[in-house]
Amino acid sequence: MEQIVFGIGITALTGALATVAGSAEDTESNIGSQGDPNSQVQLAPQMGFLHRIFNKAVAGEPPAYGLWCALGAGLAWAFMAMQINAILAIVLGCVLAVFVQGVYATTAYLGRTASLAKFGQPVYVDIIKSMTTVTMAHAFIAIFCTVALCQLINGALGHPFPLPLLALIWGIALGAAGSATGNPYYGKERQYQNQKFGAGVPISASGNIVRYAEAGERNSIDNGFFTHKIGGSASGICFGLIVFLELWRTILFEKIYAGWGAIAVGVLLILIFTVIDRYIEVWARKNYGPYTAAKEAES
Amino acid sequence: MSVKVEVIEGGVPHNKIMIAGLVSTLVCIYLTYLNAFTNTEMFSFFGGLAVVSALIWGSHTIKVLCSYGIGTGVPSAGMIAFGSGVIAMLLATKFGMLAPIVALVLAAVIGFILGYVSNNILNMKIPAMVQALTEMAVVGALTVMGFAALITGGFSFVGLTTSKAVFMGLPMTSYGNSFLGGGLIAVAFLLGAIAIQHPFNACLGPGWKQDRMLMLTAECGFLSMIVAAVMSFALISAGSAIISLIIALIGWFYTYSQYFVLSKRDAAAWLDSKPIPDTEGH
Repeated sequence: MEQIVFGIGITALTGALATVAGSAEDTESNIGSQGDPNSQVQLAPQMGFLHRIFNKAVAGEPPAYGLWCALGAGLAWAFMAMQINAILAIVLGCVLAVFVQGVYATTAYLGRTASLAKFGQPVYVDIIKSMTTVTMAHAFIAIFCTVALCQLINGALGHPFPLPLLALIWGIALGAAGSATGNPYYGKERQYQNQKFGAGVPISASGNIVRYAEAGERNSIDNGFFTHKIGGSASGICFGLIVFLELWRTILFEKIYAGWGAIAVGVLLILIFTVIDRYIEVWARKNYGPYTAAKEAES
Repeated sequence: MSVKVEVIEGGVPHNKIMIAGLVSTLVCIYLTYLNAFTNTEMFSFFGGLAVVSALIWGSHTIKVLCSYGIGTGVPSAGMIAFGSGVIAMLLATKFGMLAPIVALVLAAVIGFILGYVSNNILNMKIPAMVQALTEMAVVGALTVMGFAALITGGFSFVGLTTSKAVFMGLPMTSYGNSFLGGGLIAVAFLLGAIAIQHPFNACLGPGWKQDRMLMLTAECGFLSMIVAAVMSFALISAGSAIISLIIALIGWFYTYSQYFVLSKRDAAAWLDSKPIPDTEGH
């Protein structure tokens, strides 16, 4: 019993860490226009809409965060192997991983922008200086929380995988959660605030992203500020729930039928979430969707 | 290691880059055997140089392949390169001195099969597919091998799975504290997979320039070498790791500053705190 209570405590702690990580990850990727919204930022100058939005296309978020987290964990593992205290080792590992992330971000922005020279898109040095540091700060929070939760899974819950491998898996999951949950909010709504709500991206509006802010010209910190309110929180809840429920079902039901209990509960959870998702989707379509309007127009 | 490429129409032909990349990678990997001959770990940095030259070749292969519009993102090419390469590399580590050659041949076979499957069974019908996937599997295998040599000082299977440590005065063999057992191979995998796809992914567009992209590849290679050298402090002697780290830092600093110079050359304008320029009609 005591072991289960300890396990649930660790599970709650990892869930909390994961929530912070998911929120920071989504904000980081939105400031960098990474993932799904990236194509529109890349396309805008080609359609004649020059902008001051940061565009760091390192990779899709899942592989990118797979690398940052695995790297942070690998370095932390190496520091721990050198007999450095675990907390200090994780912090040092994450600092170096964030350094790599920052360098990749600057080279991505420079490369993409320089290749758009034909359309007159300039390289803004102030954008590199101000946006990269902000993404690095958010990335540090995301990487640190993920590596810390992996260390808890490995050290406190006794998971057999080594730290870097766990961080690779959870890093990819983190990127996937942020990419699937938070990005549509930035890519479909924030970039297209001048379009009808919920209309998605009509082809005629491709590249016509919002480039001017309440005051002056919009930059990516405005986007991070805006999307953090709902997109970041939603991503945080998403990743937090994934980590929490995954560990919760393992700790409580692993003993039943030699592990099959945990698998059965996992399948049950997926079914419950499918029903919830379907309900929300239908509800949202009924209330906001342009779908009904389009049908009326056809008939 | 710098890449000096003159800007000419189309740049250096791909075959030239492939041959240069293959030869220099193999030479650098074989030079890590100096560790075994001299019974030190001082020559581990040659593994890092092998990584850089293999990545330069690989990123240009990705350019050749992804110019066709393969229907997936550029990063997927990096993943398949290392996914197919790591199998060949692990099997090859059993073959002693022949390991790099065995890795090369095995990876080429795996890559060829994957290319054949994608082109003829999945019907992707992309002309460069078979050759590109073959090359990328080889690049993946040799890059992971280079990382292994850089971090552990060699790439024999025993060396990658065990490490010797002294515990309470007694020599102990540890499996968890090794390149494979500690999961460092996962880090090497992703370091390479992101570094190989990033240069083309970052530099694609109408203004793509070969020299700028290859300089970025060298930069990504040296950047990966820096962090791999830091990790190597856990598994090889501090002096040897410092040599790798210093070489990586010098290489990275040079290539990073050169990349800035090349980007400045190619950019439409280089502005600091300036508004969006006026364009006609918008």
